[in-house]
Amino acid sequence: MSDILLEVRNLKKYFKTSRGALHAVDDVSFTIERGKTLGIVGESGCGKSTTGRCIMRLIEPTSGQVIFDGKDLSKLSARQMRKERKDIQIIFQDPFSSLDPRQTVLQAIAEPIIQNKLIKGTAAIEKRVLELMETVGLAERLINSYPHELDGGRRQRIGIARALSVEPKLIICDEPVSALDVSIQAQILNLLEDLQDKLGLTYIFITHDLSVVNHFSDDIAVMYLGKMVEKAPAEELFANPMHPYTKALLSAIPVPDLRYKQERILLKGEITSPVNLPDQCRFKKRCYMPCEKCDGCEPKLVEVRPNHFVSCHLFDGQQN
Amino acid sequence: MDEEKRLLVVDHLTVNYELEDETVEAVRDVSFSLDKGKTLGLVGETGAGKTTTALAILNLIPDPPGVIKNGTVELEGQNVLEKGAKDMSHIRGKDVSMIFQDPMTSLNPVFTVGDQIAESIMIHEKVDKKEAFEKAKRMLEVVGIPGERAYEYPHQFSGGMKQRVVIAIALACNPQLLIADEPTTALDVTIQAQVLDLMRNLKRKYGMAMILITHDLGIIAETCDDVAVMYAGQIIERGTLEEIFNHARHPYTEGLFNSLPNIADRKERLKPIPGLMPDPTKLPKGCAFAPRCPYARPDCIDVMPEEIHFGGTHYCRCSAYREEGFHIEREDIEV
Repeated sequence: MSDILLEVRNLKKYFKTSRGALHAVDDVSFTIERGKTLGIVGESGCGKSTTGRCIMRLIEPTSGQVIFDGKDLSKLSARQMRKERKDIQIIFQDPFSSLDPRQTVLQAIAEPIIQNKLIKGTAAIEKRVLELMETVGLAERLINSYPHELDGGRRQRIGIARALSVEPKLIICDEPVSALDVSIQAQILNLLEDLQDKLGLTYIFITHDLSVVNHFSDDIAVMYLGKMVEKAPAEELFANPMHPYTKALLSAIPVPDLRYKQERILLKGEITSPVNLPDQCRFKKRCYMPCEKCDGCEPKLVEVRPNHFVSCHLFDGQQN
Repeated sequence: MDEEKRLLVVDHLTVNYELEDETVEAVRDVSFSLDKGKTLGLVGETGAGKTTTALAILNLIPDPPGVIKNGTVELEGQNVLEKGAKDMSHIRGKDVSMIFQDPMTSLNPVFTVGDQIAESIMIHEKVDKKEAFEKAKRMLEVVGIPGERAYEYPHQFSGGMKQRVVIAIALACNPQLLIADEPTTALDVTIQAQVLDLMRNLKRKYGMAMILITHDLGIIAETCDDVAVMYAGQIIERGTLEEIFNHARHPYTEGLFNSLPNIADRKERLKPIPGLMPDPTKLPKGCAFAPRCPYARPDCIDVMPEEIHFGGTHYCRCSAYREEGFHIEREDIEV
């Protein structure tokens, strides 16, 4: 029996704008097993961050259910939700703006511990902070430093230590390495991997960097304009991408190896507006293999192979 | 013959930022050359001195605090560092153009994009405003934007489109050299692919040379003829694309390659470079990479490594090669 930690069912988030409803997340469903990593990839504005925030109810979803560890989070009151957030933590992209500039490392890491009343007593809290600093690879001498004294990699380690301080089950990593240099990026990715092995964490890894998500995830979901267009185990997705958008996305990765040659699929145009979407395939305008069905209605997500879901009319009727 | 092909020669360039109580050694003794029509990739992490090098080529180092301590930048035989402000304004935009990283902030929000392209044309060519605007429209078409949109303002364009407008401004006067500083970093992958494709085509069409500054080795692999790897203000390795990617010699270059996820083997563990870039105000006397280098010898930190020639145009600054038979772990790739 699989051990499902998180199930998201028909999650929707529409923002009201003066021109109509902006479909940021539109009917997204997925599950994650305990101890696994789900990568969510897509371009800016595809709804990947909004999905992450809706799961924690940092943004209230318009509709849909989020079932975390057997509990339906969407039914909880604000007070109950606050308790539940102890088990779901988030690491933000920008380690420069996600830390309070007036808090020392000690205060920043201790804050969630104090807020959640996990440990009492200054000495005990400090001991726990030092433990966490060691876990994420921050030197003890930095305990009284302020964020501006530290570089991006170290700041991101503080963010990770804060997330770990409450012993969460699920961590949503929203572009955790995008703002970092490659050599530092690799350090942070390895740290996140080690923590997963050691603490049995489950991750949702939101990123636009496909080579990072390939390295890091068990399953990958590709989003386009609020919709999940394809979802498959990482290996399967890279070996056998089906949706035209996924194919284009994969072919656009610049590979630092001169032996690697591939046909590049150049997409026309840019991501279209997510406001007042008609009932047709959202990718149609940029698609290089449209068919007559695309105008008709929006394609459904179908399981084309075991665990490989695609939402494209080309695969209608190929249900596994 | 060789002399004629040379477009740019940077020789022993040294730039410091002199602050009140400390000196940042931003560019240290950098030398390289670029032939007409070629693309040089300048790779390195934040603070390596890539952008400062580019600004020096345009004689745009902010002064104060920037001071060019030493060196020459010869563009077609003329040292741009000796030129006055008036001469430089003829060179910038006409002979050398630059594209900056962030297309969101490099356009003026209160002028139409057509006006902004026309401005650069009017400075360098004897045309009136109407003609310049017509040419601006044609430039927009060149970068794949309908000419009609010349009457629109930057906020009406998306990120990728804005970067195309910036490219149109840069190319409006057919420069011989285009310096592109992280031109696609702020863009999405599919848009990045479009913009890189556009830049490659335009480069071929106009036969201009390009210096591409990036931290992305994948983009270098696709776009460049030559590569220079920078670390703490120095070029620590340079050569042709093939020499750097298939026969890397410097431990830092190796470290950069190892830090990247391997697309062919997704489960392979990343091998990051340990530690951090040294403080540019307190650089060691010798090799700046020594504190992070797995091959460092005891005296590496005290002795400045010489540039060693590895045949062809391949140079590398690493003292470990003084020992006979030394080789980094990364194996050469034979094609």
